[in-house]
Amino acid sequence: MTAPVRVLVVDDHPMWREGVARDLTEAGYEVIAAVGDGTQAVRVGRSLRPDVVVLDLQLPDLSGVEVITALCADQSPWRILVLSASGEQQDVLDAVKAGATGYLIKSAGREEFLEAVRRTADGDAVFTPGLAGLVLGEYRRLATAPASDAPVLTDRETEVLRLVAKGLSYKQIAERLVLSPRTVQNHVQNTLGKLQLHNRVELVRYALERGLDS
Amino acid sequence: MAVFRFAALCYAAILLLTYHRQYSRPWLGVVVLAGMLGWSIVTAVAYADPGRRRWPLLGVDLFITLLSLLASSWVIPRDMLRHGSPTLPMAWVAGGVLAWAIAGGRRWGVFAVFLVGVVDLTLRGSITATTLNGTVLLLLAAFCIGYMIKVAGEAEARMQRATELEAATRERERLARGIHDSVLQVLALVQRRGTELGGEAAELGRLAGEQEATLRALVGVTPFRTSEGSCDLRSFLSPFASATVTIASPATAVPLPCATAAEISAAVGAALDNVVQHTPPGTRAWVLVEDEPDTIVVTVRDDGPGIAPGRLAEAAAAGRLGISQSVRGRLRDLGGAVAITTTPGEGTEVELRVPRKLP
Repeated sequence: MTAPVRVLVVDDHPMWREGVARDLTEAGYEVIAAVGDGTQAVRVGRSLRPDVVVLDLQLPDLSGVEVITALCADQSPWRILVLSASGEQQDVLDAVKAGATGYLIKSAGREEFLEAVRRTADGDAVFTPGLAGLVLGEYRRLATAPASDAPVLTDRETEVLRLVAKGLSYKQIAERLVLSPRTVQNHVQNTLGKLQLHNRVELVRYALERGLDS
Repeated sequence: MAVFRFAALCYAAILLLTYHRQYSRPWLGVVVLAGMLGWSIVTAVAYADPGRRRWPLLGVDLFITLLSLLASSWVIPRDMLRHGSPTLPMAWVAGGVLAWAIAGGRRWGVFAVFLVGVVDLTLRGSITATTLNGTVLLLLAAFCIGYMIKVAGEAEARMQRATELEAATRERERLARGIHDSVLQVLALVQRRGTELGGEAAELGRLAGEQEATLRALVGVTPFRTSEGSCDLRSFLSPFASATVTIASPATAVPLPCATAAEISAAVGAALDNVVQHTPPGTRAWVLVEDEPDTIVVTVRDDGPGIAPGRLAEAAAAGRLGISQSVRGRLRDLGGAVAITTTPGEGTEVELRVPRKLP
């Protein structure tokens, strides 16, 4: 028998934290900690190295994006599922660019949530239609920006993202484009990977320009 | 203003020193100058308080200015004045005039210049080049200052409105955050637990979910208008979000002329109404907004049973307008196009394309 997936739950709302932790435990996950603020999340995350972090974007001290940036600073692949009650789109996009691998709205049902955690643990990106729309928009924004090294989507990736944004499941997309669901998943993953890489390059460039490398 | 008055006073004093030998009553000149000094001090203090910059003070100011000008006739011999010699207060008269221009705008400034000009004329008995020159310069100054004050006043009012708007927006964001951190979380939780418990609780959960979506759209922090005076299409579409309708859009504003955004929003509303009317309850719908360089693409897709081939044309032919009229008509007016794709069993997709015409 394989060891259970270890999960860190970060949410400032005690009822939510307990509810999420209970759901996860019932589903066979090991909730190693459930914390209510960003500072604790970074500290506990670094020392316990959970397999999956379930993170609320609204925290009292650090922002969700800051937590993600702090965790991902060690260059190792973190699996972070962002939960947000809001449609605060820029926050969600920033979180994904900073290194979150999935996003789910809080009103999603229990089954949908557990499925998202399972896929995050497997290393798959969890996309909602809303997130696909944000990522599409971000690539278009980058395309009009003057920087020449901005990442671009292939035609196939654009096609896949548009279908995700229109609410089709990976299975439906695979059928429509005559691809395997795995390939669809890979395309989605790539769009996120390129964006995160670009974000890291931008951060480094910014740091060099500001002389923070010294 | 106060600085100008004292500088002009110094000039008048120098003139008095230079010409006092030729003056008929130099001692009176000194008295008048002392009065001017006193009044300069009074105005410097009085005008510092905006509450006192009103007609009583302005009236007295101009009256004293004219008085000092009139006093010239007892100090300076008539001949000298007639030949264009400077008056006793000289440039100092501009102080009172400019005060009028500042407080009353162009019209009152010009009126004050007119009064000064008339007094100057009676002093000298005839129009000389110097008088004319001085009056015209003063007129120009009063006119410009009056105009500048008006423009500055308008700019300040506009700034004030912008600041108020910003404060209102910030307050709204603060409220949104508050609602977000408490009410929305609890509603989402009730929805989730309710659905799990089933039965009547599930119904309560469903209601909580609907309220959550409505409230979230309501407190959404997307500002309606963008800074360039156009409207953000996203703010028109976000109210459509509900438990069954998902909106996907870019994170940045999608600026469009407000009328265009409203028309697109109405077309999306019609397409969504259509989904509700022609699909079983619980059918989900997705709205995708794409901001391409020269086109705005809005797609409305549902996962209902789809429309059988020919049904749309049939409906239009039978005089039932529905999607044909309200969506196609609106898009035609915007110079755009509608594409409807449907597969029985796989839902319907309505794609609206609108060319981006920069406002």
